[in-house]
Amino acid sequence: MNITINGKTCTCEKGEFLLEVARRNGIPIPTLCHHPALAGQGSCRVCLVEVDEGRGPKIVVSCVYPIQRECTVETDSERVRRERGMVLALLRKRAPESRRIAGMCRLYGAPELPRLTPADTGKCILCGLCTRACTELSVGAISTVNRGVLKEIATPYHEPSTVCVGCGACANVCPTEAIPLTETAETRTIWGKTFQLVRCASCGRILGTREELELAAKRCGQEPETLCERCRKAATAQILADVYGD
Amino acid sequence: MQVDMQTITDILHNYPAQQRYSLAMLQDMQRHFNYIPREGMEALAEYLDCPLSSLYAMATFYKALSLKPKGRHIIKLCDGTACHIRGSVNLVGGVERLLGIQAGETSADGQFSLELVNCLGSCALAPVMVVDDTYYGKVTMERLPEILGQYREEGQP
Ligand code: SF4
Ligand code: FES
Ligand code: FES
Repeated sequence: MNITINGKTCTCEKGEFLLEVARRNGIPIPTLCHHPALAGQGSCRVCLVEVDEGRGPKIVVSCVYPIQRECTVETDSERVRRERGMVLALLRKRAPESRRIAGMCRLYGAPELPRLTPADTGKCILCGLCTRACTELSVGAISTVNRGVLKEIATPYHEPSTVCVGCGACANVCPTEAIPLTETAETRTIWGKTFQLVRCASCGRILGTREELELAAKRCGQEPETLCERCRKAATAQILADVYGD
Repeated sequence: MQVDMQTITDILHNYPAQQRYSLAMLQDMQRHFNYIPREGMEALAEYLDCPLSSLYAMATFYKALSLKPKGRHIIKLCDGTACHIRGSVNLVGGVERLLGIQAGETSADGQFSLELVNCLGSCALAPVMVVDDTYYGKVTMERLPEILGQYREEGQP
């Protein structure tokens, strides 16, 4: 099936998400809450575009919009830029300290909305990627807490989590760097808990926290790693060379 | 109310260990203890083998669930449009003064919790106040001490 994005003909499968097709064809669409490993979040609305399936253009959320029929798409039309600017203006009220959002606001000429006072002081837009990352890839240590204007991301009872392994997956997927993660040479601190870092026994690169490595090892029924990937490969190659070499 | 693990275990074992029953179990605990004790949250997470965080999300989402002990008697004061127009704000102030607590709080003796709600569906009786399951309509400041007095334990002021 063929669709037209910004005048360019693109081939796609029925049911594919519009954002994927655009990106594959080198057409940029800005996103915040989209992460390839955790697709379908669809909560920030920054990726909106205009789609015409023959009945006039309509605004859709491209990261969760499955293509059903031939259509023409505009990702940067005047209307798209205006609506995206409004979405960004509102997100800025939610997360006034996010430099990324401030930058996007400049790019799309987002209105100031002086009548609205910022809902928050932080950087979090409550997209929920972090809680999904933790639940799906790690241990489910964090979740959304409360609702409405009081909604936030937190550990149970706002205490250092008993199950968090300090893997940092949550901080890594966060689009606005809202989750503080600090590291020293030996430790990593996140969600109010400090973890011991383990380094590669051969080259000294950081492998992760002790708890994180133990969890990974337990899941695949092995001993925790002591080497980084590069040194591990080198070691295997050495063994192979010893066995098969002359 | 004393929290004992046996009661918690009994509540949980009324249901199969499946996530879709978690809300029902939380509600049962709420009903029994007037709040959801932390022991109950942790026991439920263990029973369902699910992260505590997902239960915490649920317990903080629903207004009917509370993680702090509630009073023996729950006072719901309506501040919906009709009641508001008929002076519910004065009643709120009145109850707050009588009990020495703010809306959303529980009195120090554990007798009363005060909640503000938005329309109880009895606007003709505005302003409306509900204590536990009893409705009081056309409430006036003068009647407040008498209404609350019925719920005070014997020998209490
Ligand atoms: S650092 Fe802790 S909270 Fe964040 S994803 Fe890892 S286990 Fe979850
Ligand atoms: S990237 Fe599509 S809604 Fe956030
Ligand atoms: S507004 Fe109070 S009962 Fe409707």
